Amino acid sequence: MQILTTPFFGIFLSLIVYLVGQWLFKKTHGLFFFQPLFVAMVLGIIILVVLAKFLGQDVANLYNTAYRPGGDIIFWFLNPATIAFAIPLYKRNDIVKKYWAEILSGLLFGTVISLFAIVGVSKLIGLNQTGTASMLPQAATTAIALPISKAIGGNSSITAMACILNAVIIYALGGWLVRKFRLNDDPIGEGLGLGTAGHTVGSAFALKLGSVQGSMAAIAVVIIGAVVDLVVPIFSHLVL
Amino acid sequence: MSQQNKSANTNKKSQQAPLLVQMGIYASILFVSNIISNLAPASFPVPAPVIGMILLYSLLSLHIIKVEWVDSFGAILINLIGFLFVPSGISLAANLGIMKAEGLQIVTVIIISTIILLLVTAYTVRFFIWLKRKHPVHLKKTKTAKSVPVHVLSRAKGEN
Repeated sequence: MQILTTPFFGIFLSLIVYLVGQWLFKKTHGLFFFQPLFVAMVLGIIILVVLAKFLGQDVANLYNTAYRPGGDIIFWFLNPATIAFAIPLYKRNDIVKKYWAEILSGLLFGTVISLFAIVGVSKLIGLNQTGTASMLPQAATTAIALPISKAIGGNSSITAMACILNAVIIYALGGWLVRKFRLNDDPIGEGLGLGTAGHTVGSAFALKLGSVQGSMAAIAVVIIGAVVDLVVPIFSHLVL
Repeated sequence: MSQQNKSANTNKKSQQAPLLVQMGIYASILFVSNIISNLAPASFPVPAPVIGMILLYSLLSLHIIKVEWVDSFGAILINLIGFLFVPSGISLAANLGIMKAEGLQIVTVIIISTIILLLVTAYTVRFFIWLKRKHPVHLKKTKTAKSVPVHVLSRAKGEN
């Protein structure tokens, strides 16, 4: 057990499951179900569950004592990685300067419309009040969404799950959605949508589609954070 | 030909700041943005990396930092983001209790919400851009705004 509580285990596990994901993705010629991040997540959780059964421990406990020391080290590098998105944004400053009004109004109105739709879907599928409130701040990055979720009476674990799955879903289904709904016709909206729905991971995905998409996704991550900060508490007060 | 290209590439690379210098810039920005983030009120959380992105963007726009000083390390990090996100994905292992209770409902809502956010944002922005192109007269400000990008573009070209 002591071998598992060093950071080496978490780092080792993360790398192995991600590499398996990459290998499967290549083997299946890019089948979305085998998207590396998705495979790594599912495989990693399965390994922890099996290991917990084997050691007779609680899964959450094993996650905290064994995986987290290493996982946190990798997780920390998301900080500089998020900062790095200023570069693609700066490289397409021309677009920002030309369309800043459309970007701002699009993100603001888009968020409000999305919030109504999300409340509708949550009620339709039968989430309780707490569950519905937890869904509202998910467009922001985790660090913004969690405190807002708590403030409006949501469950921050569910919100964290939403923020994480947002990224995984966009990475796995993004290509299909972009083709299906012809988002490519307008790279500015495409990039802003990917940044809003998929956060930093969505921005990396958008950057693969083009420099305009990448820069727009990066600016969406920043502005949506502020919009969620301001709009979601008011919205939940009025609607929920 | 390929050799010439290679030498051109290495020349380009030599303009890049050394890796440790680039890391130093990222670390400095993170350190400062973390201080700023702690000053933000609890009701309006602003995470350090988001402040850091704004800081780096401002420093680049004000020509205090050159792109070559941060570019190659940034590209490495961005290319790794799928992997860097793995611990977040695995962290769901700590919430398996919720998943057992009402996981299917929650995951269904999250999947639909993700698609809603993507499509609504994309089409709302498209609508506003269409509005600007269709009715340029109604928005008189856009006339002055239009002259700006041309000027900016030409300036950017001149710098290159």
